[in-house]
Amino acid sequence: MLASSVQRSKSNPYPSKARSAAVRRIVLAVLVLAALTLLTISFRSPTAGAVHDAQGALSSALRPFQLAATRVAQPFADAYDYVSGLTSAKRENAKLRLELKELRAQALEYKAAAANAEQLESLLHYEQSKIYPKDYRPVNARVISFPSGPFTRTIAISAGSNSGIRVNTPVVNGDGLIGRVTNVYPDSAVVTLLTDSSSYVSARDLKTGVRGIVRRGQGDTLILDQVAKQVVVHKGDRLVTDGTRDPRLPSLYPYGIPIGRVAFVGASDTASFLQVQVDPYADLDSLDSVAALVATRRK
Amino acid sequence: MTFTVLDGVKAAVLLFLAAVLQVAIFSQAHVLGAVPDLVLVTLVAVSLLRGSVAGAACGFVAGLLVDSAALGELGLTSLVLTLAGYWIGRYGETTGRDRAHAPFLSIAVITVLYAFGLLVVHFVLGESAPAGAVLRGLAPGIVLNLILTAPVYALARRLLRPAERATLSTEVQLLG
Repeated sequence: MLASSVQRSKSNPYPSKARSAAVRRIVLAVLVLAALTLLTISFRSPTAGAVHDAQGALSSALRPFQLAATRVAQPFADAYDYVSGLTSAKRENAKLRLELKELRAQALEYKAAAANAEQLESLLHYEQSKIYPKDYRPVNARVISFPSGPFTRTIAISAGSNSGIRVNTPVVNGDGLIGRVTNVYPDSAVVTLLTDSSSYVSARDLKTGVRGIVRRGQGDTLILDQVAKQVVVHKGDRLVTDGTRDPRLPSLYPYGIPIGRVAFVGASDTASFLQVQVDPYADLDSLDSVAALVATRRK
Repeated sequence: MTFTVLDGVKAAVLLFLAAVLQVAIFSQAHVLGAVPDLVLVTLVAVSLLRGSVAGAACGFVAGLLVDSAALGELGLTSLVLTLAGYWIGRYGETTGRDRAHAPFLSIAVITVLYAFGLLVVHFVLGESAPAGAVLRGLAPGIVLNLILTAPVYALARRLLRPAERATLSTEVQLLG
């Protein structure tokens, strides 16, 4: 019984094992060598040669299959993109909102910068023009605070006594007179605007030579006061500062600073003077860059 | 392991389809910075089922197909896939034989080795070799390839039935 035979499984079920390890290694070495050769040829002449042509032919042969596969898979790809798009839409929406917020802030910043640049350009133009008063040097400054309420008509600027600014120094922007300094600190100053009730500026009609006092009228308007009824003032006439006529009574403002244009002229039987409404050249509600006119010659 | 002409044809068709699908579809399916590698998964399945020599040959051919279809450097993918196919084939012939986890383990390991192999070859050739990007995409790449492993291996096993079972004798003479 013990001698009876039992058929075992074949002693070598793996023919590859039966082959020598050397053959296996030779096959591997040949394939690796072939790959390296192809790689070398392909790398050395990437745009020409037999290998390049063969690759192109093989690629062309594969192209229809690729296209077919792409077309077959397209609906699935679209569905995947749709689902993927839906899941990422919320995140993307939040991201875009944030971006929009940042861009809006940036746009506002640029707009403000552009407006400031425009004012600076205008100011520079004024300072270099012929009508810029002699014996005065400009101290350019930024507006650092604006009227805080309906009762204040003052602004603060970023230059003060260290720059030569004194109380009553006239302050202009590129369009014309805006007011005068009423309080001064080493590096800042308070400017009282033309529309403040304490502001009086002697003015002159450039066309007719009529003189008067520009001061605050009803509401936020400016009027040219102290103009006799018998003189002629036309709508549209330009008004400038009158300057000092009598050395004993020096004006705070040098001659020739543009103030505004006559917007309305009227007269009533009861009033002693003409009612002349003035539209200031400077937009007093939108000031960014101004210049204080510091006298270069002691008065 | 035997590798008949019919097996060769079947393996070639499998790899051809894998290469076409890889270039046309899977290469565009970016998930967390990685793409599933159908060619690699198919090669692993064929190599496990048909041994090292078949694995190396299939790797070489698959690499040629991929490089040609994608118009890459001819031989580059072939070189790495040849080594991958050989190594997995040897594993299938020895330690991994008839082990259920062999395909998954092979895929996990070979995905890493394949990625680094390509990285090294690109680096040696002086081409762009972004190691950071490769490392970041490694874990998702392994997961994606593991997902593909079960169906691909099942299909390959169906087409390339383990040959040794046919050659193994089941006849036993009872004693007594």
